[in-house]
This record gives sequence, structure tokens and C-alpha cells, in this order.
Amino acid sequence: MKPLFALLRVIWQGQSRAFWRGAALAAVVLMAGVGLLGLSGWFITAAGAAGLAGLGIGFDFFRPSAGVRLLALGRAGARYGERLLTHDATLRALAGLRVHLLGGIMRLPYPRLLRLRGGLALNRLTADVDALDGISLRLVIPMASGALTLALAWAILAWLVDLAVSTAVILAVLCGTAATLAWTLRRAARPSLRAELHMQAFRTTLIDLFRARVELAVFGQLQAQTRAALLREARQRAAANRVDSIDRVAGAALSATATLAAALALLLGLRLAETGAITPAQAALAFFAALALAEVIAPLRRGLSELGRTLVAARRIDRDLRDTGQPAAARAAPAPRDDAPELAFANVALRYPGGAAPLFRDLSFQLRAGETVALTGPSGGGKSSALTLAAGLIAPAAGEIRLRGAPLTAWPETALRATVAFLPQRSALLSGTVRDALTLADPNLDDAGVRALLETVALDDVVARMGGPDARLGEGGAGLSGGEGRRLALARVLARRPRVLLLDEPTEGLDADTARRVLDGLRKALPDAAILTASHRAVEIDRADRVLSMTQ
Amino acid sequence: MAETADRDAGRDRLAALVAPGARDLRRAGLLSVAAALIWLPQAAIVALAIAALLDPALPQLPPLVLAAGFAGLGLARAWLAALSEARASHAADRVLGLERQRLIEDEALRGPLDPNRPASAEVTALAAQKLEALRPFLTRYQPARMRVAVLPPAILALSFWFSWAVGSVLLVAGPLIPVFMALVGLAAREASARQMEEIGSLNGLLMERLSALVDIRVLDAGARTLARFDRAADELRRQTMEVLRIAFLSSTVLELFAALGVAMVAVYVGFALLGEIGFGTWGAPLGVGAGIFLLLMAPDFFQPLRDLAAAWHDKSAAVAVASELAAAEAAGRRNIAGQGAAAAPLAGPARIATRGVAFETAVGHRLLFPDLDLPPGSRVALTGPSGAGKSTLLALLAGLAAPASGRIEVAGQPLGADTADAWRTRIGWVSQTPHFLNRSLADNLALAGGNAATVEQALDLAQARAVVSALPRGRATRLGETGAGVSGGEARRLTIARAAAASPGVILADEPTADLDPETARLVTDGLMRLADGGATLIVATHDPDLVARMDRQIALGDPA
Repeated sequence: MKPLFALLRVIWQGQSRAFWRGAALAAVVLMAGVGLLGLSGWFITAAGAAGLAGLGIGFDFFRPSAGVRLLALGRAGARYGERLLTHDATLRALAGLRVHLLGGIMRLPYPRLLRLRGGLALNRLTADVDALDGISLRLVIPMASGALTLALAWAILAWLVDLAVSTAVILAVLCGTAATLAWTLRRAARPSLRAELHMQAFRTTLIDLFRARVELAVFGQLQAQTRAALLREARQRAAANRVDSIDRVAGAALSATATLAAALALLLGLRLAETGAITPAQAALAFFAALALAEVIAPLRRGLSELGRTLVAARRIDRDLRDTGQPAAARAAPAPRDDAPELAFANVALRYPGGAAPLFRDLSFQLRAGETVALTGPSGGGKSSALTLAAGLIAPAAGEIRLRGAPLTAWPETALRATVAFLPQRSALLSGTVRDALTLADPNLDDAGVRALLETVALDDVVARMGGPDARLGEGGAGLSGGEGRRLALARVLARRPRVLLLDEPTEGLDADTARRVLDGLRKALPDAAILTASHRAVEIDRADRVLSMTQ
Repeated sequence: MAETADRDAGRDRLAALVAPGARDLRRAGLLSVAAALIWLPQAAIVALAIAALLDPALPQLPPLVLAAGFAGLGLARAWLAALSEARASHAADRVLGLERQRLIEDEALRGPLDPNRPASAEVTALAAQKLEALRPFLTRYQPARMRVAVLPPAILALSFWFSWAVGSVLLVAGPLIPVFMALVGLAAREASARQMEEIGSLNGLLMERLSALVDIRVLDAGARTLARFDRAADELRRQTMEVLRIAFLSSTVLELFAALGVAMVAVYVGFALLGEIGFGTWGAPLGVGAGIFLLLMAPDFFQPLRDLAAAWHDKSAAVAVASELAAAEAAGRRNIAGQGAAAAPLAGPARIATRGVAFETAVGHRLLFPDLDLPPGSRVALTGPSGAGKSTLLALLAGLAAPASGRIEVAGQPLGADTADAWRTRIGWVSQTPHFLNRSLADNLALAGGNAATVEQALDLAQARAVVSALPRGRATRLGETGAGVSGGEARRLTIARAAAASPGVILADEPTADLDPETARLVTDGLMRLADGGATLIVATHDPDLVARMDRQIALGDPA
């Protein structure tokens, strides 16, 4: 339950005004409903009594009938306002929560980013967050407004009718509801959790099925994976049906509670009226008001049936909120020294967590403006890791890295990224236009800039054939071949116009001619940049001023 | 016009979709009608009880009997309602299961070169999330419609029987509700279609960004990405609110209609009981019991209409989902040949021959491939500039796409639906971008088949044993989707090991030595050659001159322009 309250606070926080007003209106709706039915019942019965007694002329029918109209209109209006306010506030809070969570994920340390599974994170940001909407809408607000209404109804019925009748009816409602609540809480949590987990498993399997369609097809596993997805789907539905049946029982119990409370009011009212302790109109008032209390109970049903699912999601998101990175405090960029090398490694060692031997030690080199250095060495020898270190994404086990004379760790993120650009070995392209891909790196890029960049990476012809920079790319840059996508990723990095350029196998997937064209264009576009590449291709090594072998 | 056609397609699709659950839904409807009808005797009991209090001339029943009768009927009503819900839920479950199965099976078969292939996250959202939106429609709409068919006419008849005035009030107020409902329904459908679209595109947007987080970090595009997502999330909220606003507004208006109707009945009954009004009944003045009975029934005259109005919104959402299904089904598809199922290997020597094979790319280029005649054990390099169709040809040879014209013969048989699965059993595939399933590395390596022993051999062959032992959790490691956790070269070696594990007769490799240093590239090439030495055909698409030199033949593919 604790995460539930924690998240209730998070959701309520930014929108508390709207929520309080919504909750107040919700109470007004319920009270107006009870008042409306009670008043109507009393009015008709009293009118009947007056008519039978021949007192019709003296009966004041204006005030009760005006009251009926006021309550009816007021209830409809309050309900509309309440729904709009609370739903809008909830959706706003959830949208904010989603952005907040994504921001947290984005700030995760680099090694964890690498291991992040898109499907799971997507679940967290969509399904889990969606599951939280019931906390305020269908649990807290109905319960609070319902409790308030019951208290008020008890007081008014005790005053207008009879203390015993009032107490008995309200107690019946309270006991029935509480028992149903307790039963549901005990029974529904586990199946809901199961349904939720099966749903997540289903989605993950499905994402795998669609993303790895090709491999699965070739290896004859497409049908097996499809069956696995369908099996999880069937399990998810079976668990959902279990939750459903619990929900049905709870619904029937709540409905029975309302019926029994009304029957109790009828019984006690009739008895008291027979003895003359109260008038028939008062008995009618008690019965009709009790009947209206069904409206207090009914909205709880959905909240109850979702309780398990909500709890599971709340637990996970609460953990994520504590766990993900916090925004870094703003820092001033260090003053760069113009005489210092652009990038300097001094006795740098790197050890992977859990790895026994260091990947490399005592790596020292300097990189000056306008220089191109190629790191070479066997696959797995640490070329890529050296670039990752230089990009400030991981920290060395020993030694120091300086950027323009200042320690890398002293650089705030934005200044660091403005100075150093990094093309990782595997770059992901996003769907959108070719232009979008480049403006992701530099939002102020104009037409000429886009053209120049495409020319630099020898993509101008390809893009022209596709219909210009506003041609759309599919998911992950689909529509471009592997080599073309690689070049677009390179152009994107160049759009940063960095002083230090870290390129991990920049011409991978390109034929030698194109590779040469790209490397030459690159140097021409950024004549003063210090370029560090991790390379295994002859053409890249040829174009370097110096080669740094990382063989141990 | 297009929109109307879209909606019609959606409505037809919805009708087809409901059919398997129709029987259960009919029963659910009947049960819910029975439950709703029980209110009438309940109201009669209350009316009799209160009337007897006022008029000693009426028959006096003990309060306990009256209350017990009321309670007993109420409990029966709750029970019947629960039974009805169970039936409806059963129907929804069945329909949902069938639709998901159909969608998943269809989408899984789309080939890699299908231009209409939707983003993985979008299909997943459709199958998991959006189809779930059918549930409220399935469980509520049909029962609500049946209640509307029975209850309002029954209550109207009863009301007329007691008082033509009350009956007339209901008769006038009632039909306003469906008219209003139809007007709102039009707006609601558009709004919910837009909302559905927004959900899909938000999911797609998110999924992509989540797999590009490293790039976003190094491009310092985090703030911009968040801002973009913020806008998209807010847009979804706006669209959702639009749907909700229409729903809330219409239910408010319906509530007002109902409240006005009930208030008019109450006022008439009140005045009639006071003796202020003499008309409206069939002769005798209205009694207290009849008055209370009429008043208790009046809200239930409107309730089914309001339920149907609410279900109308569920229907709008369902039509939107069904339209999306219909659109996905109507869009052209390029499926893989065969089913992608495990099959006994195609018999005969693994000869490959193509004649006049051409392929139409998504953007309308026609790639014409040279004829191939590859006896078993051939070692062929496909070369050519980027975009020349190297990967496409590999896909065609694996039966992952069908050529626009020409024919492909494998092991002496035409490659087609009935031979593709058996043919692929003999193929080892090394794709350009490795994809690892969310399972252990051991499972991923055994994906193509083979046992622990052959996987170990394959690891040696691909020079990948060291890669696995360097992982802290070894074979139990779960790698990232594209192999995060190992370097690019290591991921490639693992996919080569995966392909080799099933001892394939034909190896199709797309850039197998890309991102490997010359030394490792040579080792991997050695491994591929060793595999080929066992008699396997080796076809590689490559730019790597060293790899090309190791092959027996080089086939240069032309420029598409």
C-alpha cells in the first residue's frame, strides 16, 4: 500500500487544486443524489397524505418541487465538472510522470543505458503509468466523497427521521462495503499481479517476435515464437478472467449491500410508521435516501477490480522514481587552455566491473587540433572503450583524461557534448525525415547546412534519389541501406561541429571508394577538429596522421 | 468519401469480429433484461407498502414480509446481473483471443522487404493495448441494446395503463435521447479514432527513442527529445480529453433529459395526489400507490437509454480499432514464403539456380539480378555499391521475399510456399544487424537448432568462445536487443556461431566481416571457410576485398540507377 500513497502524492502534487475541487464536486454529486431521491419520496408521500386528508390546498408544493429541480440540475452540473476536472488533472499528472520517468531513464549511467530493453522500458512508461489513473479517479476520490456523504446522510436522516433507522442503514452500507473491500483486497491482488505479469510477458514476446522476424523465419522459429506469444496471450486472458470473476462477485456483493440497506430502511420505517412514531412521509424519506446510497457504493466497484493491477504498477514506478538518475546540478564550464592538447590520456586504465584483468592499462596519448589519430588493435582490445572513455560516458579505473587542459570530470554535460562528438559503433536512427535526423543534432541547421552535410558524407545522391532531405525514413532509419544509415549517423555527428570528434569505425559497411570520399569530406568540413577513430580498415588507417596500436 | 469508406470497412470488420461471440452475447443480453425487469415488482412492493401506511382501507401486509420480498428480489437481480456479466465476459474473451491470434499470425509472416510493414511497437500496441479496447464494447453494447428494446416499452405500457399523462411525458422525453445520442456519436467516433492514432504514434515515438538513448545522450539531444515527447504526451492527453469531454457532455445532457422527465412525472403525480389536477387518468383519480409506483419506474425508463448512450462511445472506440484492423488487412503485404516453421530439411543437393529474377523496391526501383547457377559447395561473394541489392538478393534466396518476376530453384525444386520452410532448415543466416531475443545467450545461440555440443563447436568455429566466457554470467547472460553488452565484432561472431550451430548446408551472410578487425575478420572467414569445407555453400554480401578474395566467385551487382 505504501507505494500507492507515495504515487498518490506524486499524482496529486502538481494538480492539487483541480483534485480538491474535483473531490468536493464529487461529494456534492453524491449528496445531491441522496437528497434528490429522499426529497422526491417524501414529497410524493406527503402530497398523497395531504390529498387523502383533503388538505391539498394548504400544502406547500413550491419549495419541495423547486428543491427537486435544483438538486437534479445541480447534480448533473456537478458531475460534469467533477469528471472534467479530475480526469484532466489525472491525465496531466500522468503525462508529467511519463516525461519525468523518461528523463530519469535518459540520465541513467551509460552501461545501464546499453543494457536497457526497449520493450520493458516501454511497458513501464505506457502500461504501468496508465494503470495509475485509477488511484485518484476510482479509489481515493470516490472513497473520500462516499465517506463524507455517508456521514452527512447519517446526520440528516437521524435529524429528520430517526436515529435508530439512520444508524442501522448507514451501518449496513458501511459493513457491506468494508467487507467487500477487504475480501477483494485479499483475493484480487495476486490474480491481478499475475494478469499484469502475463500481459508484460505477452508484450515482450510479441516485440521480440516482430523485431526478430527475419532471424526467426530463417531459423524456422517463427511459428514457435508465434505460439509462445499466443500461449502468453492465452495465459494473460485466463488471468484476466480470474480477476473478472472476482470483480463480478464484488459487484454482486456491493449491489446486494445496497438492496439490503434499502430493505432495512423499508422494514424499520414501516414499523415506526405503523406505531405512529414517524409519519409515512418520513418513512418514505428514509427508504428513498437509502436507495440512493447505492450510488455511493457503485463507483467503488471499478476501483476495486483494478486495485491489484494498480498496486503492481505503483510498486514498480515508485522503485523507478527512486532509482533513476537525478538531474545534475548546473556547473560552470572549465576555462579551456588554448595551449593544451585537445584531448590527452595519461596512464589511463580500464577495468569492466566483474572483469578480472583490466582491458588496458597505461594508455597515454595526446591529440591536437587538426590531427587525425587511428586507434587499432584486435576486436575486444578496448578501442571502443577508449572512445567511450574519451566521450566521458564511463570512468577510468586509473589515470586521467583531460579535455582542452581541464579534467574531463570537470566538464558539465552540455559543454562537454558541445566540444566532443561521438559516433558509437552502433548508432540508432529515428523515423522521420532525413532533415529531422540532422536537426536532432543541431536544431538551427538551415537548408544549406543540410545539403553541405549530406555532401560531406556522400549521401547527396542517395537523398536526391529519395526525393530530397524531406524524404521520410521508417523505424530505425528503414529505407536506407546499412552503409547509408551509417553515413547519415556520421552526418548527424558532424552537425554538432565539435572540436573533438570520436568515431568508432566510421566507414564500416562502406566500400573503399565511398569510405575515402567520406573521410576526405569529413576532414574538409572540420579542418581544425581533432579526430580520434577506432579503426580496423586499411582505408581509415591510411587517412590517419598517426596510428596508435592498442595491442598489449 | 475515403473516411466514409474507412468507417464502413470498420463497421463491417466489427460485425465480423463480434460473430463468434454472438451466442453468448445474446444470452448475456437476455439475462441482463431479466435482471432489469425485476425492478418492476420491487417498485410495486414499495408502492404497496407506503400506500398501505396512508390508506388503512388497503390490504395491510406485515413489514417483514414486504421488506423480505424487496430484499429477495433485489438479491435475485444482483445474481442475474452477475450471470449476465459472466456470459458477456466469456464472449469478449473468445473474440479477443481469436482476433489477437489472427493479427499476430498475419503480422509475423510479413517479410523484411515489405514496405507496409508497420513498426514493431505499433503492431504490439494494436495487439495488446488497442484490441483490449474492444472489451467494454463487447461486454456492454449488446446487453444495453437488448435492455433498450424491452424495458422502456414495458415501462411505457405500464405507465399508460395507470395514467396517460405520465405515459405521454415519457413518450415525448424518451426519443430525444437516441436522437441526441446519434448526434454525439458522430463526433465521438472521430475523436476516438484520433485518440487511437495518437496512442499508436506515441508508443512508436517512445520505443524508438528508448532504443536510441545513447545517441541522444552523445548528441546532447536529451532536452529536445524530452520536449518533443512532452508535446506528444500532451497531445495525447488533449485527444483523450476530447473523447472524454464528448462522453461526459453527452452523459450529462442525457442525465438532464432523464432528470427533467422524472421531475415532470413527480410534479404531475404530486399535483394529482393533492387533487389540483383532475386529468391524466382513465376516470378514477390517481392513488398514492400508483403514484409512487410511477415515480419509482420513471428513472428506469431512461436508464437503459443512458446505458446504451454510454455503450455508444465504446462502440465508437471499437469501430476505430476495427478500422485499423481492416486497414492493416487491406494494405498490400509481402509475406515470407512458407510459414517460418521448423521443417524437415529439403532433400537433394543444395544447388541454387535463378532465372531472370527481378525485385521491385519499396520506392519503385526495379532491381534485375544476374542469373545464378551455384552447385553445392560454391563460395560466392555478392559485391556492388550500397543499394545495389546485395541484401535483397540474400533475402530472395532465403525465401523471405518473392521476386517480382523470374524464378528461383533450390535443391532442384522451385522455391515457393511449400518448399521454403524445408529449404530454410538448410540455411544458416548471418544478418547485418544482429537481433538477440530477450532470453539467455544459450537459448539465443541454440535458436537455429542444435544441442549444447554443436553450439560449443560453433562457438569455436566463429572464434567466439572467449566472448562468452568473458561475460560475467556466461551463457546465462541476457544481451541487449542488438547485442548490447558485447562489442559489435563480438555480437557478429555470436550470430555466426548461432548460424553455424545447426550445421547448415547453405550459409547466407550479410557483411559477415564488417566491424571486425582484419585479424578477427580473418579468423571468422576461416570459420566460414571451414564450414564450407564440409560441403556447405557460402554466399556472402560484402565490401571486404579480403573476404572476396577467399571466395571462388565474385558476382557484381549493378547500380540501381
